[in-house]
Amino acid sequence: MKRWLPIFLSILLLAASNAMRAETDAEVQARKDALDVAGAFSNDGFKIRDGHWCGVVKPHDHALVAVNLYAGNQYWFSAAAAEPSKIAVSVYDETGKQVTTESYNNGEKAAAGFSPANSGQYFVSVNLVEGNGGSFCLVYSYK
Amino acid sequence: MVRFAKLGMLVLGAVVFAATGATDPARLSADQLEKAARSDSISIPTPGELFAALGKSEKTNWSGQYRGPMPVTYRNRAQIALNLGGLIADGFIAIEAKDGQQVKNIGSDIIKLAKALGVSENLLGRGKSINEFAENNEWDTLQEELEATQNEVKSSMQSHADQDLVILVTLGGWIRGTQVVTAAIMQKYDERSAKVLRQPALVRFMQSKMNEISPELRQEPLVKDVIERLNEIEKLVSFPAGKTPTADEVRKINEAVSRMITEIESKELPK
Repeated sequence: MKRWLPIFLSILLLAASNAMRAETDAEVQARKDALDVAGAFSNDGFKIRDGHWCGVVKPHDHALVAVNLYAGNQYWFSAAAAEPSKIAVSVYDETGKQVTTESYNNGEKAAAGFSPANSGQYFVSVNLVEGNGGSFCLVYSYK
Repeated sequence: MVRFAKLGMLVLGAVVFAATGATDPARLSADQLEKAARSDSISIPTPGELFAALGKSEKTNWSGQYRGPMPVTYRNRAQIALNLGGLIADGFIAIEAKDGQQVKNIGSDIIKLAKALGVSENLLGRGKSINEFAENNEWDTLQEELEATQNEVKSSMQSHADQDLVILVTLGGWIRGTQVVTAAIMQKYDERSAKVLRQPALVRFMQSKMNEISPELRQEPLVKDVIERLNEIEKLVSFPAGKTPTADEVRKINEAVSRMITEIESKELPK
């Protein structure tokens, strides 16, 4: 019996880690919606990054991701929530100070446009303004 | 009376602020910044993003940044991964130069190097797409396809339990990208272009990822050298916010990354 326990635990751990890594259907939908928002900026010459960041945001909370941006480029950060809600996207500099952005807000879809004066690390926040929380996804585009 | 009313309002405001425990929504705390998510796919910019920023201020001679053909016969996996990243950056340079034949040549070499790592199964389709887009001069689509190819290589590495090699591909691309950008700035220095070189947090993030790779891989001579040189480069790209690197500082970064490239390209290492 003792011999089987580690094997069983290993299988359990492997299954759990796979489940954690796999994107949920809600995240896939949120990513599709975020790409729809970003697609609108493509008409203005913005290129969409192939990478994305998905997660879960709780009511009246935010999710934060670090990005590294280059002075001279213009950026749009586009996000969508899977559940009916109201979200907002904001950008902070490396000291944590909110920077002024152009904004697009449409219920569970939102975006923030920003042109950094300095290259370096910035933080993008997806805020749940209204709603019960759930999955969201963020993509970004640049030109 | 009016003076007391104003004072009363101020006190009331302060009490309400303290009672709600409100913090300034326009500022994040150091703890919040520390806990922010960081991932290879979104926190590390592509070479294409770096080149886009450079192209804004001065007309860059992109084809002047080409290097000679790279051997695709390396046997050491870490060396292949680092060179693969560099080759992908070369692909972005060829796209900036709008040079379809060069894009196709590099696309073919990317597939060969990926094959050497055993991750080419799904990439053949990507190789064909790169050729088609290059023939049709679809430069924006090519840029997206090249990034998608890089991401596919990385996800294939992850599924083949080669997680440690993923950061080496990213790092190889960043080193080559930085070499090209510093070389272009040195040819025609201007302050706006030089500003793109300030990336201390990016280098620190890559250092932290390098610290997560297996001790065996970290002990390999090439990887060990790359880690040491990355520490040196971190200091060279750590300018205060708002400070523009001087021509001499740009040259120092270029020399440091060029030494790394020479090492990554030329060392013949054991399997």
